[in-house]
Amino acid sequence: SPTFSSTTLKGTTDLDTLLGKDHGALRDIVINANPAQPPLTLLVLHSLLCQRYRVLSTVHVHSSVASVPPQLLSCLGPRHADSYARQLFQLGFTLIWKDVPKLQMKFSIQNMCPIEGEANVARFLFKLLAPYPGDAALATSVDSWVDTAFFQLVEGSAKEQAAVLRALNSALGRSPWLVGPEFSLADVACYCCLLRSGSASVAPANVQRWLKSCENVGHFGSAKALLQ
Amino acid sequence: MTKEEAQGATEEEQQAQSKKGQKKQQKEAEKAAKKAEKQAKLAAEQQSTEEDDFAKDRYGMPAMVQSQQKLDRALVRVQDLTPERADQLIWLRARVHTSRAKGKQCFLVLRQQQFNVQALVAVGDRASKQMVKFAANITKESIVDVEAAVRKVEQKIESCSQQDVELHIERIFVVSQAEARLPLQLDDAVRPEAVGEEEGRATVNQDTKLDNRVIDLRTTTSQAIFRLQSGVCQLFRDTLTTKGFVEIQTPKIISAASEGGANVFTVSYFKTSAYLAQSPQLYKQMCICADFEKVFCVGPVFRAEDSNTHRHLTEFVGLDIEMAFNYHYHEVIDSITDTMVQIFKGLRDNFQTEIQTVNKQFPSEPFKFLEPTLRLEFTEGVAMLREAGVEMGDEEDLSTPNEKLLGRLVKEKYDTDFYVLDKYPLAVRPFYTMPDPSDPKYSNSYDMFMRGEEILSGAQRVHDAQLLTERATHHQIDLEKIKAYIDSFRYGAPPHGGGGIGLERVCMLYLGLHNVRQTSMFPRDPKRLTP
Repeated sequence: SPTFSSTTLKGTTDLDTLLGKDHGALRDIVINANPAQPPLTLLVLHSLLCQRYRVLSTVHVHSSVASVPPQLLSCLGPRHADSYARQLFQLGFTLIWKDVPKLQMKFSIQNMCPIEGEANVARFLFKLLAPYPGDAALATSVDSWVDTAFFQLVEGSAKEQAAVLRALNSALGRSPWLVGPEFSLADVACYCCLLRSGSASVAPANVQRWLKSCENVGHFGSAKALLQ
Repeated sequence: MTKEEAQGATEEEQQAQSKKGQKKQQKEAEKAAKKAEKQAKLAAEQQSTEEDDFAKDRYGMPAMVQSQQKLDRALVRVQDLTPERADQLIWLRARVHTSRAKGKQCFLVLRQQQFNVQALVAVGDRASKQMVKFAANITKESIVDVEAAVRKVEQKIESCSQQDVELHIERIFVVSQAEARLPLQLDDAVRPEAVGEEEGRATVNQDTKLDNRVIDLRTTTSQAIFRLQSGVCQLFRDTLTTKGFVEIQTPKIISAASEGGANVFTVSYFKTSAYLAQSPQLYKQMCICADFEKVFCVGPVFRAEDSNTHRHLTEFVGLDIEMAFNYHYHEVIDSITDTMVQIFKGLRDNFQTEIQTVNKQFPSEPFKFLEPTLRLEFTEGVAMLREAGVEMGDEEDLSTPNEKLLGRLVKEKYDTDFYVLDKYPLAVRPFYTMPDPSDPKYSNSYDMFMRGEEILSGAQRVHDAQLLTERATHHQIDLEKIKAYIDSFRYGAPPHGGGGIGLERVCMLYLGLHNVRQTSMFPRDPKRLTP
């Protein structure tokens, strides 16, 4: 079975190049998510980001939400021992449980409009870990799988879900990961959406094998815990 | 003009004047006659009413309440007048908010605090024509005792808080009569400014309201504001008491200024002079040294700043906290921010009616916050401001406009009206502030903001007598005057921190009001010492 190491995600770790000039302050990524729909993909990406960078993770509850189950409050893991000194971190990951119709990311408020939709935020976060494949066809293929995951696996009818499972099965018959030889955002999105749709147990053989491989990667724990 | 001519002219004038005078006299005589006629008529009427008024025991002006008798009469609250009480005969005491006579009936709006109900006196077998007239003539704001039957209404009464019932008055007595002319009309005082402008109707300006504070405090808006303020105090006390804090009382007449000598009131004190406390700072710290561990204090605080702004008062109520911590002053920040969040939650959950009442006159966005509270560092704030185009030095304090701008930036990114800014430059803080161990340019101090305005300033304090002496000397403070304060740290003092909040500011900013005088019952500023 395919193995995964952090070197699989090769790419630049220079945040200045990726995110622009450093103003001497923590680069804080703010994510507003509705507690009714926990963003599983983002939790997986958070775990990957923590492996790569010094990430200050915090969870807040916005006043628009009355109460939040305890597992949502601890979904980013235990508090970092150095969290009293924000300056020691490279990246801030601030998750706010809030009454929003659509998941939202706010980063550089001077230069960026808020990004809406879990899929789009996931694309942004993944690019901090690894560049998209240079090949345009592969990059588009990743995007296409992400769309399929969110629109057809999560929101689609039973018929649509079954069609996606068939497509996944045939794609995974050709290669260990969904797009190309390497683990990509396509795998993260499809894994999480499959879990959320509840159709993981009825998945065909190739998909089952791939699900196991994803779990071996080791960053899906927090997402899985939320579904229990 | 010759002399004669001049004389002639004056004579003519005099003649003309006397003519005018005659006319005037005549008019006055006519007036007097009319008046007499009117009075006679009135007297006659009164006589006739006295003669054939079958309801004369059912209304009137009883003797002043001097506690002659202890009536066993239950008075119902206006807010309890609901359809469940329909067809009951009840007594209540209320103010006459408005009265409007219309032929054989008179409509009254009876008000009790922020609640009101429509009442009706109609000529019938219970009320006479004279009684209706009496009711119509009761002056606004008079206090009346009323016996009435509660009746359900077909159509909701939109103008009253009790919309589903009205009162059919059977007896009405004036307990206290108000003078006919009011210095301001309550309806004008609660009208939103925008509506007043649009409809060309009167609104009352701030100074008139404050000059006649007792009447202004009767408005629904004021009633709601000060109920909410009481709520803030209670939530503050309850939360801290649950956390194991002890409430303390500290002297307000003190011998040395705690925060710089400039803005302090001097009072003569026998043969010497004293100051009015700018904060209970030194005393709450001394309590920490005296092993009270966690203390808070609610009381007046004085600032002799001659600043006439929307957010400065010369006397306000300070809510002060001081606590010993174990290893890191963030334990203190966490404790204070949690207290604030408990207050905000309590207000959100228990004072919705009051918030909405105030919003009717002063519309504002609901107050938003995060739990746990967002904490940013000073350098982060400066970076956000610089990104937005503000030029400022690393160790420069935030100016008021920059504070507001930063508040807007934080709100845009995090959507919270409440946050903490940590690690201020040491240079801009008082002498007792603990320096940051990793960078002596900064300090273990913090400000808290509501809607972009500072409500709390706090810090870890220096608990080491030697360092404290150094810092005081650095700030050129006369060591002799603060000897007692410094001495209290010589005999073992735990690390501690705290902060102080202005009650009026918290209420103002929570409700999104624009002037702190609105949330001070009897405000004191450089230009106002009365009422």
